[in-house]
Amino acid sequence: MKLLTCPLNGQRNISEFTYGGEYHPMPDPNTTNPRRWAEHVFFHDNAAGVVTEWWCHTASSFWFLAERNTITDQVIRTFDTSEIFNQRVDFVAPDIGSQS
Amino acid sequence: MTEPSPTQALRRSPIYRRHTGLQAQFEQTGKAILVSHYAEPSMEALLAANLGIADLSTLPRTGFKGAGALAWVASQGVKLPDQPNTAVLQTDGTMVAKLSHQELLVVSDLMATGSTVDHLNKQPEASQTYSLPRADSHSWLAITGGAAAEMFSKVCGVDLRTHKFAEGQVAQTSLAKINAVIVRHDLASTPCFYIFSDITSTEFLWDCLLDAMEEYQGVAIGVAALRTLAADR
Amino acid sequence: MKRLPAPFGLLIDRDQPVRFSFENKNLNGFAGDSIASALAANNQWLLSRSFKYHRPRGLLTMAGQDANAMVQLPSNPNALADKELITPNLVVMGQNYSGSLVHDRGALLGLFSRFLPVGFYYKAFFKPRGIWEKWAPLIRKKAGLGVINQQLEPDYYDKQYKFYDVVVVGAGPAGMQAALTAAVDGCEVLLVDENPVLGGSLNYARLDAKGTIAREVRDQLVFEVTANSNITCMVNAVVNAWFADNWLPIISGKRLYKVRAKQTILCTGALEQQAVFHNNDLPGVMMSSAAQRLMHLYGIRPGTAAVIVTGNDDGYANALDLMDADISVRAIVDLREKPKSTGLTKAAKRRGIDIKAGYAVFAAHQRRGHISSVDIRKIISPGICAPQRETVRCDLLCMAVGYTPTYQLACQAGGQLSYDDKSAMFTLNNLPDGLQIAGSVDSYWDLGNCLEEGARAATIATNALGFTEADIPDAMTKESHSPNHSWPIFAHPKGKEFVDFDEDLTIADIVNATRDGYEHIQLVKRYSTCGMGPSQGRHSALAAARLVAAATNRTVAETGVTTARPPFAPEHLGHSAGRSFYPARRSNMHYRHLEAGAQMLQAGTWYRPAYYGAVADRDSCINAEVTNVRNNVGLVDVSTLGGLEIRGPDAGEFLNRIYTFGFVKQSVGRARYALLTNEAGVIIDDGVACRFSDQHYYVTATTGGVDRVYQNMLKWNAQWRLDVDIANVSSAYCGVNIAGPKARQVLAKVCSDIDLAAEAFPYMGVRQGSVAGIAARLIRVGFVGELGYEVHVPQQFGEALWDALMAAGQEVNMQPFGIEAQRILRLEKGHIIINQDTDAMSNPMEVQMGWAVSQKKPFFVGGRTIAELEMKAPMRSLVGFVVTDSKAPIPMESHLVLDGEQMTGRVTSCNYSPSLGKPIGLAYVHPEVAKAGSQITIRSTGGMLVQANVVSLPFYDPQTARQEL
Repeated sequence: MKLLTCPLNGQRNISEFTYGGEYHPMPDPNTTNPRRWAEHVFFHDNAAGVVTEWWCHTASSFWFLAERNTITDQVIRTFDTSEIFNQRVDFVAPDIGSQS
Repeated sequence: MTEPSPTQALRRSPIYRRHTGLQAQFEQTGKAILVSHYAEPSMEALLAANLGIADLSTLPRTGFKGAGALAWVASQGVKLPDQPNTAVLQTDGTMVAKLSHQELLVVSDLMATGSTVDHLNKQPEASQTYSLPRADSHSWLAITGGAAAEMFSKVCGVDLRTHKFAEGQVAQTSLAKINAVIVRHDLASTPCFYIFSDITSTEFLWDCLLDAMEEYQGVAIGVAALRTLAADR
Repeated sequence: MKRLPAPFGLLIDRDQPVRFSFENKNLNGFAGDSIASALAANNQWLLSRSFKYHRPRGLLTMAGQDANAMVQLPSNPNALADKELITPNLVVMGQNYSGSLVHDRGALLGLFSRFLPVGFYYKAFFKPRGIWEKWAPLIRKKAGLGVINQQLEPDYYDKQYKFYDVVVVGAGPAGMQAALTAAVDGCEVLLVDENPVLGGSLNYARLDAKGTIAREVRDQLVFEVTANSNITCMVNAVVNAWFADNWLPIISGKRLYKVRAKQTILCTGALEQQAVFHNNDLPGVMMSSAAQRLMHLYGIRPGTAAVIVTGNDDGYANALDLMDADISVRAIVDLREKPKSTGLTKAAKRRGIDIKAGYAVFAAHQRRGHISSVDIRKIISPGICAPQRETVRCDLLCMAVGYTPTYQLACQAGGQLSYDDKSAMFTLNNLPDGLQIAGSVDSYWDLGNCLEEGARAATIATNALGFTEADIPDAMTKESHSPNHSWPIFAHPKGKEFVDFDEDLTIADIVNATRDGYEHIQLVKRYSTCGMGPSQGRHSALAAARLVAAATNRTVAETGVTTARPPFAPEHLGHSAGRSFYPARRSNMHYRHLEAGAQMLQAGTWYRPAYYGAVADRDSCINAEVTNVRNNVGLVDVSTLGGLEIRGPDAGEFLNRIYTFGFVKQSVGRARYALLTNEAGVIIDDGVACRFSDQHYYVTATTGGVDRVYQNMLKWNAQWRLDVDIANVSSAYCGVNIAGPKARQVLAKVCSDIDLAAEAFPYMGVRQGSVAGIAARLIRVGFVGELGYEVHVPQQFGEALWDALMAAGQEVNMQPFGIEAQRILRLEKGHIIINQDTDAMSNPMEVQMGWAVSQKKPFFVGGRTIAELEMKAPMRSLVGFVVTDSKAPIPMESHLVLDGEQMTGRVTSCNYSPSLGKPIGLAYVHPEVAKAGSQITIRSTGGMLVQANVVSLPFYDPQTARQEL
């Protein structure tokens, strides 16, 4: 069984974790075109190489991010979500009538 | 003096029937009814030094979470651990465990004479500080004795051997497939681990642990044995 | 048979005789004897019958590595006779024979072997269609070897985690030295060996003419290992796999140890290989190491007159051992043309053994099922012998023609096995960090080299762990001569030169597989079944690879060998199945349900009361519970509901983003339905959001969904960084729903600090107060469609709450009801259950919940997709239906809705409604027939078509007046 290092709880068996999917930024749902939105929701890169993934340490419900090489299955590093998400996100209401 | 019954209080351990099934003698400590002992108390303390399990679920505990929680609790005169996943004792015997940079678990002493839990629970809500109902969300079991770590290795994937898992260390992990917070809190020279886990799974966990303990002659013990061990200097 | 004197017989205790039986014959052995050794001591050499041709088979490796040694024990089929110890009164039987082990009627099959050609399974079942049914009865009878005892009481098997800095697999010389070198200050070392004692080959092999070195070195190493407190030894334990990051399952007795090593050193040694010639499977033909094990470990003479076929010096060492045990050595048949003169060969010559260099054993012959002579011939080119033969009488033939490294674990770790066709040597490359190999698994044969390599591997490990900073010496130079002969394979006109003993495969079978077009080694394996038997190719992989290489004009290096997947050794199902954990959750009221006669069911991990009463009265109990709620008042345990505290300045904004509805403007003291969709606009959960204060919402969630909902909420807010706290308090609250026209009347008796009047505490209102002296949260909900209050109290007060409410309800005859009644009650109200009435495609519009989707928010999780879906025509619609024909069978969940031949939908819920007196249900239908008054056809039980009318929801109390009382 693989080991994974949680930034809060340290190294644990991977059975202690929940996989949260690949991280990729969400396009602005109010302005992006339908195709781009559908790709965001339904299509996944499944890239061969280094990807960034969401992982949650189940027992402590602690979410973090991991860089993993999908070819070698090596986890390169794990890090706190604040490294990428460091400020409040707000959404702006779409302009009335701009939707076609 | 009539002996207290586990059902005389409104707050009841989820496994009080397991205790009555083992002919437990109950006692009242503060507002809590809990098991004093099952067997002859001095004998029970000896057994507990090898391997024992106690149910402390009715004793007081609380928790706080949020960006302001640590600062607020500290402002109430409570000593906090430096690192996440460690615990420290207050002068009144209350144990404070830091579960993350934003979360604390606060646990009563075995006599429930410490005032920290009660004091914190009575304060008005502070900014970015959110209380957690730890007395009801999590059961509180204690595993005592020299064989404790060996027994844990049958149900838990974290290395809890005493030379690897120091006094005051905290592990948030999976125990018999349920989530648990394990805190090493020795009773004088006897290793002791507190387990806080989903209260609705208490009966399952209690049965699992007793089954795992059988190999090492582990037994159910009451709070009296814990106090005896704690006083054994 | 009289045993050899000590020091022969290392493992047996001659003071402890043990009586056991084999094939109903009482026999005696000693404590420490394996079944096979004890049988050999009683001159019983026939152990089993082969799988396909029922040929007689005897012991081959004496190391638990072959299928010949499989016997039947009362509780254990296919037990390895050379591993399993005898115990007092153990009953051992042979297996896979008809009649008796000695006279097996199935052996006649051998005569018909041309009807079981290679690729039999492929050919027999590929076509024509239906042929399997014809073959099945015969095959099923023949398939498998041992018999499972179905009356067996399962033993207690369990599992345990262990943690070590260094795990050394294999306690031979390299392994013991590795453990000793690794056991520096602070380094916890585990040394594991599958045998009963430490020492590996040093316990039975002979390294020098005098025959003393092996035992001297062993004694020294064992002494040091045993005295070292940093080393834990585990014997009789097999490391059955290598998994990522040095995760090693170790089986010992009835326990599976799950060991995490920081560093692993594999000193797994090598497996001796058989020579391939006519009748090489006869009892009395064995590996030379097996003969040495018999003598040194068990004090047993493996025969009286021996011939040794060898390609290395180990055969000579074996000959010297045999002579020391007073066994006549008739000849050493050395496949090598000019064997190099060494101490061992010289000693053999000195002792006058007839050495036939450049010769092969071309065939073995039998008398009464045991080898009686060999036919030896001069080799004229690899695999080809001269026609002149010489017959040598013997009752023992030892084979010492080479080894394969025990590469299984290393290959599971990603190691690549390569083979040099010239030297016939293997190498293992590409091992991951944290894994070293040393000793004969790494093709080092000289004792000194093995010890140096063991120490070297250990130093690499302790350096990596930071215990040492020692210089790492260069790897020892590999010895120039290999003990592996490159072609110990001799085809015979009459065949029966066995490559794979388990599957009875001969040279022709392997070659024919390549002629049938299966040239890749993996395809040969699957087509011929070579290597698929119990010994998993340990003794067939190399020979098969050599034959395939030759038949396809390639090198063995090009051919490769088949993959060796876990497990390494057979394991009992108990090791996987033993002591698993099945978490079970119980509400604080659990035992009150049992006392009230509830039938409990497990929903996910929760125990919940289904209904109260006898199983035989199920339907009438449920109907009575429904009726009591409609006409009087009932009490149901809703503790399993999820509960989430959403607190802080952004609490409302957070809910706005997560759920489909708007919550920012929700009034304090009110509850609001909360529907959760994912980014694909699919409904994944629902609940109610109760606003207790400006910055505090208490949101319920479904029993099975709450953990995922909570995790998702945390993940979203890790990105949004709103000023909000999310806490999962599901277990912290125990709850009931008190429902029915008299609910208020009952509740009022135990709740005095909340004004329960309809105007003061209206439908969808929420309050905090006390019930029976317990701090409580009250929610006026309408899930069952009656006046109702959910009362949530801290978990450990649940039982006290239940008692107080039941007592308060006594005078109006309040009754508990279970989730079966609750499901009917909610169905009568047309309320959906997530994951029952919705599936992985359901969007809010399809289930008529467009009203729960706010159009005024800048964002919520499913918002964009829902907006897209709203612009498209719906594919299906969830509607209510009523079955009017009272004689029709009641449709069930997942029954199809048909339009002619076309499937257009399915039933999601259906039940007889006690309140309406007819079956009602929910179903997905084509939008064209979604209007009330439409007719739909449901294919019900047994294919019967049932007509149903689409009706508008709810079925019961259409004005929803009752819940508003």
